[in-house]
Parts: sequence; structure tokens; C-alpha cells
Amino acid sequence: MPEKNKEPIRKKIKENEEYLKDRIGIGKSFDLGIRKLSILNKEVQFYYCTGLCDTTIIVEIMEELMELDSSQRLTTHLKKVVKNRLPHQQVQVAKTFDEAVDRLLSGLIVIFMDGQEEALIIDVRKYPGRPPQEPDTEKVVRGSRDGFTENIIENTALTRRRIRDERLRNEMIQIGERSKTDVCITYLEDVADPDLVKLIKEKLSAIKIDGLPMADKTVEEFIVKQGYNPFPLVRYTERPDVASSHLFEGHVLIIVDTSPSVVITPTTFFHHVQHAEEYRQAPLSGAYLRWARFAGMAAAVFLLPIWLLFVLQSDLLPGSIDFIGPNKDSNVPVLWQILFAELGIDILRMAAIHTPTPLSTAMGLIAAVLIGQIAIDVGLFVPEVILYVAVAAVGSFATPSYEMSVANKLVRIFLLILVAIFKVPGLVIGVTVLILFLTRLTVLNTPYLWPFIPFNFKSMMQVVVRVSVPLTNYRPEITRPQNKKKQPV
Amino acid sequence: MEDNNRNMEQQQKEEPVSFNSKVVTIGLVGGLFWSMIGYLAYFLNFSTISPSLILSPWAIGEWKERALGQWVAIGVIGLVSILVAFLYRAALVKFSNMYVGMAYGILLWIIVFYILNPMFPKLPNPLELDRNTMVTTICLFILYGVFVGYSISFEYIDNQQNKSRGSSS
Repeated sequence: MPEKNKEPIRKKIKENEEYLKDRIGIGKSFDLGIRKLSILNKEVQFYYCTGLCDTTIIVEIMEELMELDSSQRLTTHLKKVVKNRLPHQQVQVAKTFDEAVDRLLSGLIVIFMDGQEEALIIDVRKYPGRPPQEPDTEKVVRGSRDGFTENIIENTALTRRRIRDERLRNEMIQIGERSKTDVCITYLEDVADPDLVKLIKEKLSAIKIDGLPMADKTVEEFIVKQGYNPFPLVRYTERPDVASSHLFEGHVLIIVDTSPSVVITPTTFFHHVQHAEEYRQAPLSGAYLRWARFAGMAAAVFLLPIWLLFVLQSDLLPGSIDFIGPNKDSNVPVLWQILFAELGIDILRMAAIHTPTPLSTAMGLIAAVLIGQIAIDVGLFVPEVILYVAVAAVGSFATPSYEMSVANKLVRIFLLILVAIFKVPGLVIGVTVLILFLTRLTVLNTPYLWPFIPFNFKSMMQVVVRVSVPLTNYRPEITRPQNKKKQPV
Repeated sequence: MEDNNRNMEQQQKEEPVSFNSKVVTIGLVGGLFWSMIGYLAYFLNFSTISPSLILSPWAIGEWKERALGQWVAIGVIGLVSILVAFLYRAALVKFSNMYVGMAYGILLWIIVFYILNPMFPKLPNPLELDRNTMVTTICLFILYGVFVGYSISFEYIDNQQNKSRGSSS
């Protein structure tokens, strides 16, 4: 109800108490409480939300205020004295109930004093959470082991620790009519494209929703149009070092409270094929790792469709590699074998996620020995199908971005079906349509296949080979940085 | 303010040069990359036409049909492609739409396979091409057209925007 929002805090503390009891249901909800004290002959009330605040600090604050009676004269102005004696650095003054309630439910304590039209708000928040840990999905052999957590304050702190720049901006807004989730837009003010920052802010403030229980994913779906396109349109990272290096390149980060992953915008296809590990090795080794990864990803998409094509039309097979292809006749059409094997791998993978570790070893054994080997012995699969499906699966596991590997799998199945129906034209037209589709795609005014199409030589070289850091003097053009140089060379 | 103006002047002097050099790289890389894909398609027997088609007007010996000839042909296509890129820059640079690039690719295919057909003794009449070759070459030309066209137009519009942003601030 909008008229409630502007409700001012009244002078009489009893009225305030009645109003708050009615509005936030103190007494009905067990986690909200009041502690009443009498200080300098006036009633003072502490409102708190158990579980979200740090009791030791509250006790300290109360002790300090209880001492007031012995040290101050009764005539002293209550609010001034109380405010002056609060042993905490974050104290705010609220004039409306809306503000007070908002803070109270975030875990801050609110102090009402009799005869005052204002309330004092003290930040004593302590949220249940875990310490920074190395993220499971982005492990590196060398490099920092801290990762973002579910706490947005810790996340901005982890970034700030890497960028002590006075021009780093962490702008906080709240999204969600009921959840009031904190969302932070992080960027370097003199580097990031102001138009992009404006666009993102507009899109974020246009979100009208009850709550964001799925945090960053929900926000992502509001700011980019996904439709039926499986390719990931933003990049997620749980590593503060990756996030910071993107900030230096002029990207804008969106951090959502309660999620350990941070959204990097703008993102292109090629942001999903890089990994922090490459930047931790010598440039040549890094380049080699990257090429191996590219080969794996290419195999994941193209190997099976091309092999299927040669199975169906063995006259196409070049003479030099005609030993591949099934040497045995099988009872089941090869397309169905491949699709069954794909489905099997996915079922296995999903089963492995839900199975506790001791059991999953047994499950792996069953899958590998029983299903794999015996399916061949029975004549359900030809050995080549197992081989190529396994290579494709390993290739997709080598994809740094999980979202991208799932998208690649869908593309692979799409190409397989086209090949089975239309043979060569199916494959060629399928790949062409795919590339044209990705070229047409723009995310937050950024072409998705950049720097390949539209072509940018300098940036493409940085994708293809890993250039050492002292030699990359310019920020990538795709972020339209205001300040183009990374190093004053 | 004065300092700003001087910077702008410098940029304006530099920009046409750098834009042209970008057109050169886009043309060169586009030609090399897509003719390599064409070679791969020929190797996998998707198409009966290989990059060495471009060498066929010249009688320069048997080697041009072997691997060496193919790689030389890929290099030649890269060079010819620079001309094609400048042709696009002269005629169609203002269209930022990807479909213009596609149309440019199809136009190039028609030019090579119909109009220049007599130049290539080994090239059969387009109507006699087998389906696989036809589909593969058209797709390659479309992708090549989009690569060259869209890249050049994108670069051009980006330059224009930078200029207008520079002058407004």
C-alpha cells in the first residue's frame, strides 16, 4: 500500500510500537523482537531480527547506553546523548517507518526513543554464510583460491581488494517488491562505456517482480532476451580475479546478493572459451592449452555429425582416412545408437550430481563396464559409436563454460539429425545457418561473434594466441572503453 | 579545450588510413580463412571445386592440382579478396545489415560461376554442378560475404559513432 510508505515516525513511542506490531507482525513472527530499556527516565526500544544480527555487538551497545544514567544529568537531550554514545561506525537516522522497517528486516537494529520523531539505525548485520572458497567450476592449478560467496558485501570487498581505484563504482539498488534483493552494478567510471552502464541501470530498474530467489539468473533473463537460443548470453564467474580483470577491460559487472556468481557484461561467444588457467602459464603454454581446448570444443560439435555423414555415405570418405567408420554391421541405425549414447551420458551425468560420492564410484563402474562393454557385446552399439560419443563428451567437459557446453551439445544433436535426413547439404546448411544466427545475435548492443564476425584483427589474435600481459597495451574495443590504453606506452 | 581539439584533429587525420588498413586485413583474412574452409570441404569431398580453381586460367604445370597448388591458390584468393573487400567498401559500406553481406556473397557466387565461367576451363556449367558442390559453394560464398561485408560496415559505423561522440563532447 503506497500510503504506508510515507508514514512518518511519531513522537509517542507507544503509537510507534502499535503501528510496527501491526505492520511487521511482532509477536506473530518469532524472529522479530523488541527490547525495552529506560534510559534517562525515557523509554528506549530496540527492534531486531534474530539470526541476521550479531548479538555481541548489540550487547555492547546496550551496555554503553545503560551506563548513561549514572553519568548524565536528566535534563540532557536524549537523542544527542544516545547518538553520541553508540559504539559503532555505521549509524543512520530514519524519519519514516518505511526506511526503518526496510533496515530492520535486513538485519540492522532500529532504536526508537520516546519523544523523538526519528529512529536510529545501526548496522550490526551478520548473515549466515560460508567463508570464501575456491569455486568448484573454475579451479586453477596456480592462482588465488578465494571465490565469491553468497554475501554481496563480501563480494564487493573481494573486488575492492584487487582494485583500490578511487574510480571504481559499486552502485547498489534493490530489486523485488517483496524480497528487496540487493543488486550491485560495478564498473570503473572512467573506463566503462557510460551508455552501457545507463542501459543496464535502466533495464534493472524496470524489473518489477516479487523476488529473486534464483538471483543472478533471474536478473540475466530480464536484461537479455534469451528466447529459444541455447547459447549463454552473459558470462558468469565465481572468481574475483577474473571479475577484476574484466573490470579493467571496461566490462560492467552485476553482483546479486545470495548468489556466488557474478554476471559479466557485455559478453561475446569467445568470452566463454577462455579460462583463468591460461593466464597463469607462460604465454606459449597458455596458447597451447587454449588450442587444445579449442580442438576439444570443435570435436564436441563437429566430430559426431561428420562421422555420421561418412557412415551414411562412405563414398565421400577421403582415401587417406578410410579406416574409420564402422567395420561391423549393426542391428540398430547409427543415428539412433548415437542419440541413445548421448542420452545415456546425460542421464549418467545427472545421476552423478545427485549421488553421494561413495556411491558414485560404484555407479561409474556400472556405467563404464556393464553398460558400455556389454552393450557392444550384445550388439546394441558398434565400438566406434562409443569412441566418438566419448570423445565428444570429453570435449564438452573441457569447455570452460558449463552453459556453453550444454548449448554445444544441442547444436551437435541438431546437426546429427540434419545429417541423417539431408546428408551433406544438411550439414553444410546447418553450420551456415548456425554461424549466421550467431552473427545476427547481439547482446546489449554487442555482436555475439565479435571479434570473428565482425572481424577485429587485434582482438582475434588475442583469442587465438595468448599474448603476454606487458604486450597488451589496449583494452578490447568491444567494451567501447572511454580510456583505450591499459598501460601508458 | 584546445588540447581536446588538437587530439580530434589528429584522430581525423589518422582515421581514414587505419580504416583502409582494416579493410585490407578483413579482406585478406576473410579470403585466407574461407578458402581454407573451402579446401577442407574439398578434402572431405563435400565439393568438387577446390581453391585451385583460381589458378586454372593459367597453364602453369601439374603442381597446381596438388597440395602445394592449393595452398598457393589460397594465398592468391587472399590477395584477390582484398580487392573484393574494397569493392564492398566503395559500394555498400553504409549498410550495417548482415543480409547485405549475404546478398553480396550470393552476387559474388553468381559472378564467379556464371559470368566468369568461361575464364575457368575446369568449371562446369552451373546447371551441371552436383547438389553437394552447389550447396557447399553457395554457403561458403554467403559466409564469406557476411564476414567481409558485416565486418567492414561495422567498422565504418563504429568509426562514425566515435567521430560524432568526439565532436559532441
